[in-house]
Amino acid sequence: MKRVIKFLTSVKLAIVLLIILAAASVLGTLIPQGRSAEEYAVRYGGLSTLFIRLQLTGLYHSVWYLALLGLFALNIIVCTLERLAPKWRRATKPHVAADPKSLAALKVNARFKRSAPLAVIQSEVTGLLKGARYKVRAEAQGARTSLLGRKRIGGIFGSDVVHLGLLVILAGGIVSGATSVRAHLALNEGDIQAAPKAAFEVRLDKFTTEYYPDGSVKAWKSDVTVLEQKKPVVSKTISVNHPLTYKGYSFYQTSYGYNWQNPTVEIWAKSKSDAAFLKKLILKVGERALLDDKDKTTVAVQRFLPDFVLGEANAPESRSDQPNNPAALVEGFRGADKVFSGWIFANYPDFAQMHAAGEPGKETQTDLSFELKSFDSAQYSVLEAAKDPGAALIWTGCVLLVAGLALAFYWPTWEIKAVLEESQGKTDLVAAGIAAKSREAFNAEFEKIITALRSSK
Amino acid sequence: MNESTIFTLTFILYIIAALFYLAFLFSKKPGRAKVGSAIAIVGLVLHTAALVIRTVESGHAPFTNMYESLSFLAWASVLAFIIIDKKFGVPRIGAYLLLIVVGLVALASSPLMPKDATPLVPALQSYWLWLHVSVTLLGEAFFAVAFITSIMYLAAKEPDKKDRMDSVSYRCVAVGFPLFTLGGLVFGMVWAYKAWGTYWSWDPKEVWSLITWFVFALYLHTRIVMGWKGKRSAIIAIIGFLAALFTYFGVNYLLAGLHSYA
Repeated sequence: MKRVIKFLTSVKLAIVLLIILAAASVLGTLIPQGRSAEEYAVRYGGLSTLFIRLQLTGLYHSVWYLALLGLFALNIIVCTLERLAPKWRRATKPHVAADPKSLAALKVNARFKRSAPLAVIQSEVTGLLKGARYKVRAEAQGARTSLLGRKRIGGIFGSDVVHLGLLVILAGGIVSGATSVRAHLALNEGDIQAAPKAAFEVRLDKFTTEYYPDGSVKAWKSDVTVLEQKKPVVSKTISVNHPLTYKGYSFYQTSYGYNWQNPTVEIWAKSKSDAAFLKKLILKVGERALLDDKDKTTVAVQRFLPDFVLGEANAPESRSDQPNNPAALVEGFRGADKVFSGWIFANYPDFAQMHAAGEPGKETQTDLSFELKSFDSAQYSVLEAAKDPGAALIWTGCVLLVAGLALAFYWPTWEIKAVLEESQGKTDLVAAGIAAKSREAFNAEFEKIITALRSSK
Repeated sequence: MNESTIFTLTFILYIIAALFYLAFLFSKKPGRAKVGSAIAIVGLVLHTAALVIRTVESGHAPFTNMYESLSFLAWASVLAFIIIDKKFGVPRIGAYLLLIVVGLVALASSPLMPKDATPLVPALQSYWLWLHVSVTLLGEAFFAVAFITSIMYLAAKEPDKKDRMDSVSYRCVAVGFPLFTLGGLVFGMVWAYKAWGTYWSWDPKEVWSLITWFVFALYLHTRIVMGWKGKRSAIIAIIGFLAALFTYFGVNYLLAGLHSYA
C-alpha cells in the first residue's frame, strides 16, 4: 500500500502518464472518431466490435482516457503540494546561516581575505548586492556573520503556477462537459427561435452572403435581434469570428443552407429557325409566361432541383441541398394543352431536349430550345447557440499556464550566500552562488560582484 | 522588384550561406562561418521584405496556405538560429539548419504548392491568424534548432562538444516550449472559441499539438526533476520535433479535420 501511494505521488507516474496519454492520443487520430458502427465494420472488419467496446471510436471521451486525465490531475496535485511546502519555507523563512565549508563546496564560489573590519565588508557586500537588486538578509552567530542575497524568488513557483493552470483548465473542461448548452439554430429571414434552455429568443432579420470578385465567399452575415418577451433588446450583425454574446450565451455563424421552397429561375428561350429570337424569362416555380403572341404558347417551370439525380424508377430527385447540378423542368402550353416538356440543366446546356407531351422519348415538333441561365433562392443561416460556463475557467487556466511558464523560464531565482569572519582586524570572506537557470548570466554577475569586492579599498 | 524575385534571391542567399557554413564545418576556419552568418542575415532581411510585400499585396497575414506558412517557418528558423548563435556562439549548427531551411524554401517553391494569394475564407479573417500562426511557428522554429543540436549531440564524439549541444538544445526547448504553448495551444483555443464556439474539439490538429506538448513536457520533467541529460534528452527532443512537424505538415495531408488551411 505504501508503495502504491509512493508511486502515485512520484514524478515517475507523471512521466508514465505523459507517455500513455501521448500514445493514446496518437491512436485516436489514427482511428476516425465518432463514426457509425457500419463504417467501422467496413473499415476494420471483425476488429470493429472490439474497437467499439474498448471505446477507441470515441477515445477522447472514453472512460479510460478520462480516468487517465483524472489520475494525471491527482498526480499533479500531490506532486505540487509535496514540493510547495519546502519552497514556501525557502521563500518566506530562508536559512541565512551558512557554514564556509559547504559554501566552498558549491560550484560557483569565491574566497578571499581583506584587511578591514567585518562591519565594513558586510556593508560593502550588502551595498553591492542591493545595487544588483538582491534582497539581503543577515544573521550573526558569534564572530561569524552570514549574508543571503536573493532576487526573483517568484521564479521558484513557476512550475507550481503552471500546474495550477493545468488543473484549472481540466476543471474548466469538466464544467464545460457537465453544464455547457449548445444548439444549432437554422433560421430563415424573419424566423424566431428560442435560445436553448433560455427565456429569450433570437430573430434573423437578414442573411447575406458576400463574395470576392473571383466568386469565392467573403463573408456570411446574419443580422440578428434578441427578443425578450417579444420585445427587441439587442441587434447585431453576426459573422464568422464575430459572435453575438448575450446573457452568457454566444451565437456563432457556423453554416448556411439553401431554401429551395420557392426559387426564382431565369430561363432563356431560343428558336432553332430564327436566330434573332431570344426571350429571357424570370419565373417562380409554377408561374406561367407568354412566349409567343401568335400561337399563344406559354411556358412554365414546373419543378426545380438543385442537385438533379435520377432516383428509384428513374424518378428525378435532388441528391442534396447544394446547387451541384441545378435542373429545371420546363413545360410548354398552347391554351390549356401541354404540348412539350423537358429537363434543362444549368451545367449542361446542350443536354436539354423537349419532348412532346404524353409521348416520352419522341422529340417534339417544337422549334424552341431552353437554357437554364441562373437561379436564386433564399438562403437560411445556421447559428450555433452556446453557453459554456467552463470557458471562463479555461481562460483563467491559460493565463496561469502562460504566466507560470514565463516565471519558470524567464524569472530565474538567483542566490548569493556569503560568510564573513573577522580575526585580528582582517576579514575572511567565503561566497557562493546558486542559480538553477540562466547560469552563464549569473556567473558573470557573481564574478562582477566578487571582483568589485576584492578591488575595493 | 516583386515578391517572387526577392523570394528567389533569398533562396540563393540561403544556399550560399549554407555552403559557407559547410566550408566552415570542414575547414574549421571561423571566418567562413562569419561570412555565412552575414549572408544569412542579408537573406533574412530580404525574406522579411518578401513577406511584407506579400502582406501588403494580399491584404492579409502571410501564412494562409502551405506555401506561405512554409516560407514563414523558414524565416522563423533562420531568425531562431541567428538568435541562438548570437547568444551561445554555435556556428556549427548553421550548416545543418540552413540546409533544412533551403529544403523548406525549395518545397515552398515547388510546383506542388499553389503560390497565388487567395482571398481569405471567412474563418481566417481574424487578427488571431497573426497571433496564433506566427507565435506557433516561431516556437516550432526553436524546436527545429533543438532537433538539430540533439542530432549533433548524438553524432558528436568529444565530451566538450556534446555538453555544448546538450545545453543549447535545452535552451532552445526552454524558448520554444512557452512559445508553442502560448501560440499553438492557448491562442488556438481562444481563436477556436471565437470562430467555432468551442475552445477544443479533439480535431486531429489539436490532438497532435497536444501530443507535441506532452512530449516536450516529458522532456522538461525528465530533465529538470529526474536529472536526465544527454542521450535520452536528445532522443525526446528529436521525437518532440518530429511530432511538431507532423502536427504542422502531416496532419493536413494524412488526417482530415476542421483545421484544413495549413
